[in-house]
Amino acid sequence: MTSPATITAAPTAGASPAPAGLDDATAELLAGSLREVLAEGGDLTAALAELGWADVLADDPARATTLLFTEHGRALAHSRVLDDVLLAELAPALPAATAARALLYPLHSDHPADPRGPLTGLLLGPLDGITEVVVPTVLDTGATADEPDATGLAGLAGGVTLRILPAELVAAAAQPVRGFDTAAGWLTVSAAPVGPAGPATPAGDAWTRAVAAGRRALAAEITGGCEAALAIAVAHTSARVQYGRSIATFQAVRHRLAEAHVAVESLRSELTVAWGSAGHADGGAWAARLVKLRAGYAQAEVMRHAVQVCGAMGLSLESELHRFVARTAALDLLLGDHRALAEQLGTELLGGAELEPVVAI
Amino acid sequence: MTTATAADPTVIDPADIDPAVLRDDLDAYARALRAWLASEPVLDQWRGRHYPNTEERIADHGRFMGVLFRAGWNRYGWPESAGGLGGDERHRAIFYDALSAAGLPIPAPHLMLETLGPPVVHFAPELATAYLPAYLRGDEWWGQGFSEPEAGSDLASLRCRARREGDTYVLSGSKLWTSHGATSSRLVCLVRTGTPESRHRGLSMIMLDADTPGVTIRPIALASGENELAEVFFDDAVVPATNLVGDEGKGWAVAMYLLQWERAMYAWICAADALRRLRDLRGQVATRLAAGARLPDGSAARLGAVYEQIIALRSRSAATVRRLAAGDTVGPEASVDKVLLATVEISLFDLARDLLGAEFVLGATDEVAAWRNEWWFSRSATILGGSAEVQRTIIADHVLGLPKEAK
Repeated sequence: MTSPATITAAPTAGASPAPAGLDDATAELLAGSLREVLAEGGDLTAALAELGWADVLADDPARATTLLFTEHGRALAHSRVLDDVLLAELAPALPAATAARALLYPLHSDHPADPRGPLTGLLLGPLDGITEVVVPTVLDTGATADEPDATGLAGLAGGVTLRILPAELVAAAAQPVRGFDTAAGWLTVSAAPVGPAGPATPAGDAWTRAVAAGRRALAAEITGGCEAALAIAVAHTSARVQYGRSIATFQAVRHRLAEAHVAVESLRSELTVAWGSAGHADGGAWAARLVKLRAGYAQAEVMRHAVQVCGAMGLSLESELHRFVARTAALDLLLGDHRALAEQLGTELLGGAELEPVVAI
Repeated sequence: MTTATAADPTVIDPADIDPAVLRDDLDAYARALRAWLASEPVLDQWRGRHYPNTEERIADHGRFMGVLFRAGWNRYGWPESAGGLGGDERHRAIFYDALSAAGLPIPAPHLMLETLGPPVVHFAPELATAYLPAYLRGDEWWGQGFSEPEAGSDLASLRCRARREGDTYVLSGSKLWTSHGATSSRLVCLVRTGTPESRHRGLSMIMLDADTPGVTIRPIALASGENELAEVFFDDAVVPATNLVGDEGKGWAVAMYLLQWERAMYAWICAADALRRLRDLRGQVATRLAAGARLPDGSAARLGAVYEQIIALRSRSAATVRRLAAGDTVGPEASVDKVLLATVEISLFDLARDLLGAEFVLGATDEVAAWRNEWWFSRSATILGGSAEVQRTIIADHVLGLPKEAK
């Protein structure tokens, strides 16, 4: 195992001192505590506060965030910790919080809803105890300042603005998700009225940074889900005997599991790289989008192989596997699924965007 | 990227550089190298150049190495005792990456240098002192003799014999698919010094001159028409015993040592070159689009996906290269790097083939011919250096710890 310095920021040349951060032993200890907390399933925010998580996060944001979200994914937890990640980035662009806030996520990738229409989006959980919902909005391309504008956003076309809506207004338009992953506890918001125009503040770079931070956290959460699913598949195929031997001795099965492992490892490496540019002005948006794409691809790859090698058990309600299939699919969707991100990226590259090397030695 | 010109006083003349500074400061090395690559006019002859055949390409790349050697750039990362200027794997990785970023090819002999150089430096320092400087100058390059007609994926079953006679070994047998075999000055071969049944325990690594009497080398034409590989026959070829790389009977350990670079550094090199070729492809496609061509459905998504795959490969192999530089042993997990690199090679050149469409099949330009040649060669990414199947089996056995495959 290399030193934890490999986790943080840019690779260091020569014998410069390792930056302050979590060492392996502390990280292992924290992972154990997180697993216990997540297994109990109580109020995660309170439990994290008790663990002194804010200090851990301040000390080593990359490793702490990756640790928390990986365990979150492995435990199939549902909480609003992702809101904390994005809201922390949005905070400089918002009036100081006087009450508990939640975030309304765009339904489509990182593209917020048009404030002139009824609002749509996703919430990570019910709004009990929440007073305000932060709603990113953007005037759709083509909108101009000349058009009738009832929202007071003239001149902001193309830029993201943040609005703060009363929670009860959003809650009234929210429905529990009855889709692929009902266990995530998410809600869809459809046709929430924009309501009495609250202050709309330009987000500047804050939305870009928030999305980047959210994508890194989601990539870690998907990593945890993939690891858990792969572990299930390895255990199942090693124990399950057919033709007088465990099915993990068949090459076709072994190779699928090896490919799943490669997908997870590549995701882990790219996530470390993505953290290296997190401190840039745009929050490391380019690399964060890449790792979200990789995470989405990895979950598709891992789940396809895991479901196949687990046979009919993989399709059963009895096996835990389906929960990871559904959860990682939902996490893939949040802030941009891998197909949409690949298309968006490729379109930009065809349009002349620089093919950034992203990784340096 | 620095875009200094030759007249720019900030450009560092390699002759003025204290090698100790660049050896100890990677960032300074990277900056100085990039500035030189961006400003040295002699390099233009190697940009976008096409060759009628492999032999001319590799010879010209040897001349390219000479230019790089005289300026010192490809000497960093190799020990002074072997013609280098000191430093470690990270210098080499920066060197390959900077060439690609500057639109230059990575000289073909460097690929085998990355595979054969580290074990020769480590296990046979006197051979490295004798021959590696000429390799770095591009005056010679070496071929890797591992596979045989009856020992491909099952390398431990190889039969090419080396019989000890006094201070020499007498080689008999043959090697197949030897990379750069037809143009190499020297060969590094894995041979059997033990009994035929000794499997991996009875192997030794040995270096020999390609013009040793009793050695016959025949190029193998690939489907592309290129002679990238060769077969080598040994008819009682006599080689000094001092040419052993590592001890007699320890050839398997030398081969395993070598695989660390063959899988990890080679992966980094492939990623660097793949990014250059994707940039080329994007440029060529943009020209076609401007001329009114239409891309097949899904092209944008595939382009985005291939670019991201290259970044994933860079992420993984950069970490592995750093581990090599730190002196860590990179074990079976290097197969992950190899699987990722093969995935990139296959998908990049399939994408090129599909985006170029009819032109890939019918076109006669040098540019399209290069894509065709490289498409064929990309198919070897899942075969040479341990096939895709071997890599997955290594991961299943040694990384995932699955029960062993039934025999």
